Amino acid sequence: MTRRTRNWLLLAPAGTWFLVMLIIPLTVVFIFSFGERAPAGGVVPAFTFEQYANLPARWAAFKNTMTLAPIGTLSALLIAYPLAYYLAVKSSPKWKTILLVLVIVPFWTSILIRSYAWIFLLGGRGIPALLELVGIEGVRLINTPFAVLVGIIYGYLPLMVFPIYVSLDKLDKRLLEASSDLGAKPWRTFLQITLPLSIPGIATGCMLVFILLMGEYLIPALLGGGKVFFVGNALVDLFLQSRNWAYGSAVAVTLVVVMLITVTVYMRLINRLGASREDVSIM
Amino acid sequence: MGACTPADSKTIAELRGVTKRFGDVLAASDLNLSIREGEFLSFLGPSGCGKTTALRMLAGFEAPTEGDVLLDGDVVNDLEAHHRPVNMVFQQYALFPHMTVAQNIGYGLRQRRPRLPKEQIADKVSKTLEVVQLGGFEDRKIWEMSGGQQQRVALARAIINEPKLLLLDEPMAALDRKLRKEMQIELQDLQRQLGITFVLVTHDQEEALSMSDRICIMRDGRIVQVGSPQELYDRPNSRYVADFVGTSNFFDGKVADQSGELTTVCLNNGLHVRGTPVGELISSGEVTISVRPEQMTLHRQGDGLAVEVRNRIFLGEHTEYLVNHEALGDFLVLSPRQSELTEGAFGVGDKAIVSWEDSAALVLDRN
Repeated sequence: MTRRTRNWLLLAPAGTWFLVMLIIPLTVVFIFSFGERAPAGGVVPAFTFEQYANLPARWAAFKNTMTLAPIGTLSALLIAYPLAYYLAVKSSPKWKTILLVLVIVPFWTSILIRSYAWIFLLGGRGIPALLELVGIEGVRLINTPFAVLVGIIYGYLPLMVFPIYVSLDKLDKRLLEASSDLGAKPWRTFLQITLPLSIPGIATGCMLVFILLMGEYLIPALLGGGKVFFVGNALVDLFLQSRNWAYGSAVAVTLVVVMLITVTVYMRLINRLGASREDVSIM
Repeated sequence: MGACTPADSKTIAELRGVTKRFGDVLAASDLNLSIREGEFLSFLGPSGCGKTTALRMLAGFEAPTEGDVLLDGDVVNDLEAHHRPVNMVFQQYALFPHMTVAQNIGYGLRQRRPRLPKEQIADKVSKTLEVVQLGGFEDRKIWEMSGGQQQRVALARAIINEPKLLLLDEPMAALDRKLRKEMQIELQDLQRQLGITFVLVTHDQEEALSMSDRICIMRDGRIVQVGSPQELYDRPNSRYVADFVGTSNFFDGKVADQSGELTTVCLNNGLHVRGTPVGELISSGEVTISVRPEQMTLHRQGDGLAVEVRNRIFLGEHTEYLVNHEALGDFLVLSPRQSELTEGAFGVGDKAIVSWEDSAALVLDRN
């Protein structure tokens, strides 16, 4: 067996999978997006931009996705970084293992069940009831953007913690000693050494969480109660409820394009930051 | 040897009864040591002897459990590393991988408050690069530099701050043998040129002997002996030191007579040997006689131990004989070329007489 055939064999399972499950469906969706709705639902082949012209009707879904996804990503980053820092730099080996397991534990239960738990917590008999006990009345949490934000941060936090933890864990701790030895106060050591060297972890974590959030469907459906919905919810609605496949396809294609543009811009930014990390370090 | 250090020169740093425990582990025990301004001092000992702990307490990475660390006369036990006028060259250099050579070297200066002007930092960085013979390497990336070059960058990053103490933690360990020799000479030159006090940690006795003004020998967290390389070689205070510094022959025995200037030792085989006592001998009288191979002489006849030559290695200036005494076993004799020329060489299997001066036989604590 030549090296070439061996390489092809290595790629074959994933390649086939991607072709059948990703490329072909995407192409179908792309073609559908130029069609028209059949009277009984489904799609009639055509070549019209009518569906795209109609996009503003779903503006709210795009607006929600494009605000809550970045805010959720950023909040997850701000919560995850100190945790990952503690795990990688400060905690003793024994506690490190325990805490890492605790970060994973939520994955042992389905996200659906965990989100239902949040429905109760954020609902009238949950946190608002507790707030009433201390005299704060009339707080509504469930079915608000805040509820959706809480849900997505909760759901995606581990995905942010792990890449950052890995980059901080492999950071040579003697670099921190060297920085201190050279006269840098602790927070300056953090800004000049720790933070720049953990940028790869931050970049990976943000990317993972952001992309998944853009396509999120379940959490807004459960905690947004139909009032706060993402593009994902709009798609379910269009394909399954109103059976307007052509319009749904146009929305789906638009989401993919928006995602590609955002990720490209983001990658550019990170690369530039990486190239000029030296400037960052001289803050 | 290193720069001449006047014996009465000022003490720049001091360990006073310093003990360090990590949980149940005693890493350093009752260390007492004065470091003189401008000297080149080495901590020498096997791994786990506490030498790195001592260095880290001087750097400020560890605080002593008991006792005091003094810098320039002030107790600095709880002064953190970033406040100490002390810099360190780390074992694997610990250079910042995301910075250029110039940024690494200028790092210490950039932490100063009030801020130094950028031009001044750049100027000093390029001058320091000249000192370590890396002129023009400012904009290189760290990973583009060889091991030897990285070591010079680490050195430059430390000395640019003109520290009161420069601490070197096994700085040569990652270099190959030839480069290590070169760097040893360069380090000594640099130390003389800058006049900075150098404190080196090493497990390599050759390195310590060739570079240091004084060596502090450590074992199991304690200081065993402090002295110049010559003192340690000529007057080791224990078998441990005599064995660690250079090569020696040891004969175990018991003190038989201690009344005179010389001590008479009854060796385990019943032979009586006279020697010069060094340090305090333990009361049990269990001692060892140490004689350096080059202080023994081989004769055809006369007084001494009758031995048989087992092996002969010609080393040029010297010839090394492995000889056997029927009661004392094998030991080494180093014979200068001159004596071989006059007396003739011994061959394997030849009978010979070994003798030495009473002053060359040191009576040492057996530990």
